[in-house]
Amino acid sequence: MNGVHAMLVHFPLAFWALATLMILAGVFLSGRFAELSRAGLLPVLVFSLLGAVAGLVSGWLVWPAEANLYSPLARNHILMAIWSLAIYSSITLLIWRFGALMFQGTQRWALVVLALAGGLLFAITGTLGGHLAGSPTHFSQLLAAFGWTVYETFYVPDAVLVALLLLAIIAAGVGLTAKTGDKG
Amino acid sequence: MSCVRLGVILATLLLGWVLLWTTQGKGVVQDDPERNIAIPDVLLMPLQMQVAYNDEKIYFRYRWPAERAYVYHDMLRYEQGRWVRHGGSPVGAHPDGTYEDRVTMLVDDGKVPEFGRYGGYITVGANARFFTDQATPAEVQADPHLGQTLRQSDVRKYLPATRMDVSDWRGVVDEQTLQQQREAGYFLDLWHWRAGRSNAVGVSDDQLIAEFRLSDKGRGPYTTNWDAANSRPMWVFDREKAGIDALRWDTVQAQSPDFDGIYFLSEDLAKPFDPDHQWQEGDVIPRILHRQPEGSRAAIGVEGGPARWSNGYWDVTLVRALDTGFPLDDKMFREQGVYTLGMAVHRDATGSRWHYVSHPYTLGLGREADIVAQRFSGETPQWSDTWKDLTLFYPGQVNWPLLVSKAHAGAPDIAEGKPVRPRHSEKQLAIYGVEMEFNQEIISQWRKTLVVGLLLMLGVWFGLHRLMKNVRLNEGGGA
Repeated sequence: MNGVHAMLVHFPLAFWALATLMILAGVFLSGRFAELSRAGLLPVLVFSLLGAVAGLVSGWLVWPAEANLYSPLARNHILMAIWSLAIYSSITLLIWRFGALMFQGTQRWALVVLALAGGLLFAITGTLGGHLAGSPTHFSQLLAAFGWTVYETFYVPDAVLVALLLLAIIAAGVGLTAKTGDKG
Repeated sequence: MSCVRLGVILATLLLGWVLLWTTQGKGVVQDDPERNIAIPDVLLMPLQMQVAYNDEKIYFRYRWPAERAYVYHDMLRYEQGRWVRHGGSPVGAHPDGTYEDRVTMLVDDGKVPEFGRYGGYITVGANARFFTDQATPAEVQADPHLGQTLRQSDVRKYLPATRMDVSDWRGVVDEQTLQQQREAGYFLDLWHWRAGRSNAVGVSDDQLIAEFRLSDKGRGPYTTNWDAANSRPMWVFDREKAGIDALRWDTVQAQSPDFDGIYFLSEDLAKPFDPDHQWQEGDVIPRILHRQPEGSRAAIGVEGGPARWSNGYWDVTLVRALDTGFPLDDKMFREQGVYTLGMAVHRDATGSRWHYVSHPYTLGLGREADIVAQRFSGETPQWSDTWKDLTLFYPGQVNWPLLVSKAHAGAPDIAEGKPVRPRHSEKQLAIYGVEMEFNQEIISQWRKTLVVGLLLMLGVWFGLHRLMKNVRLNEGGGA
């Protein structure tokens, strides 16, 4: 299953990388290329999600479930992969519901932030996958320079979890309380 | 769209990420003596080695940094009319500093092939001493072999094939099989230099790993100095020979021994306890009596007399005959031979599993290997400045049954005989060792972090979605 997983994850990684570039092109460029990027983004995102689901399922089956949970590297790989999927799912839903509107006005910055965050997450996911396959890269040294050794499980204390939940509530609440015609 | 509202929503995502990044790894790992957990401040340490041999003897020289020299081991302090023990195996560092420094070396000649691939990990069995799930003394004492034959009360190092089930320390194979294993060379020689219990009399302890950590045959370099019936030392310093009646507690606590003075009690410095002596508060008598070892257990000496610590480093040279004549206790060295070594160091007043260990390394006598022994002629080696630099790591609570179980992703690689060194660095193993001590707590916290991270993204998505609906309405689109 390890080989199958290595093959399948190329699809979401390629689509996510492409989607990130299309978002940046759609936001910052003008002309035919930018129009194509905006128009073609949704299919790329949909394919990326399909590939990601296949990658996650095949990845979970590489090792016994117990080994997945006992390995700090595997735990980190799983966490980053699921977060990558979540953030690109968010982008997909926004593009699906609001289309070209997402590339206009100030809201385009939301796309940029989400795409860059997603890009960072899937880069970390891929790096961890390389470690697990026995092919570490120097990118993990960059992460270490910023304070995280990839061999250590990524988790935070309960107090931080509470703070994160509050941030989630604030983010949802800010959107929920917005009124039509609100110019800020 | 409201710029402020959009900014706030994106700020929650960025702030959340900053919080995640800056606080990751915190909140779980901490000392817990009740569960035999004490995490050292430093997970890696260096060890330098040199090896030389002539026609008769082989010399191993070890050098490692140590903030202090801990040579006082297991002391009896006179307190308010009673002799109180300050020693014994602690969890982590001994609070009184009365636990000796040590350097140990496991040696194999190829008869324990998995040792060459996985080093000391193969000797760490189930429910070992000072693991969180250690076997109780009652359980061990009830065991037919460990308890009743060996008279032990804890589980120490053992080799996998000495058990019928690798994950069960109890199922020792029968006596005949154990004897056959020993004769076939299925044991590890254990060179065991002790700063407190052997060095002072110029020797190293000599042991082996088979179905337990056993001592070589013969008399060891120390014995217990305790008269249990009268709750006092059995032997004390003879002033006429030692120049003192006792050590002083403040001297012991200073941990700066005078290697030219008296810091230990040996047979030639001792006399029987004198109950009429006026003992003073703070007098200290070692609970260990040094003596000259005999037989197979006396095979390893300290070259040039007791080793010394100076300028922040221990420098220890051990010497032994290439062939001791005790093939059931020792591994013999021969010209053109290649052997496997696994080193470990105890420092900072720690004992039992609180040591730093090495990967397995090969040693060659006239052969290419990780460490090449230098052949010399004459009586003593002329050491050069060329050292083999090793990195030792704190191994945490990882045992062999775990490594060959489904919980270890590398178990199939072990089954295929793939070695550990190319796969895991010392740093990696140290981190994994610590995480394993908190495995369930970390898994729980990791799960919560995963879910809360998703909730944060959900909150951000929901906020953005609502904002975008307003944007569409403002622009005259449908709901």
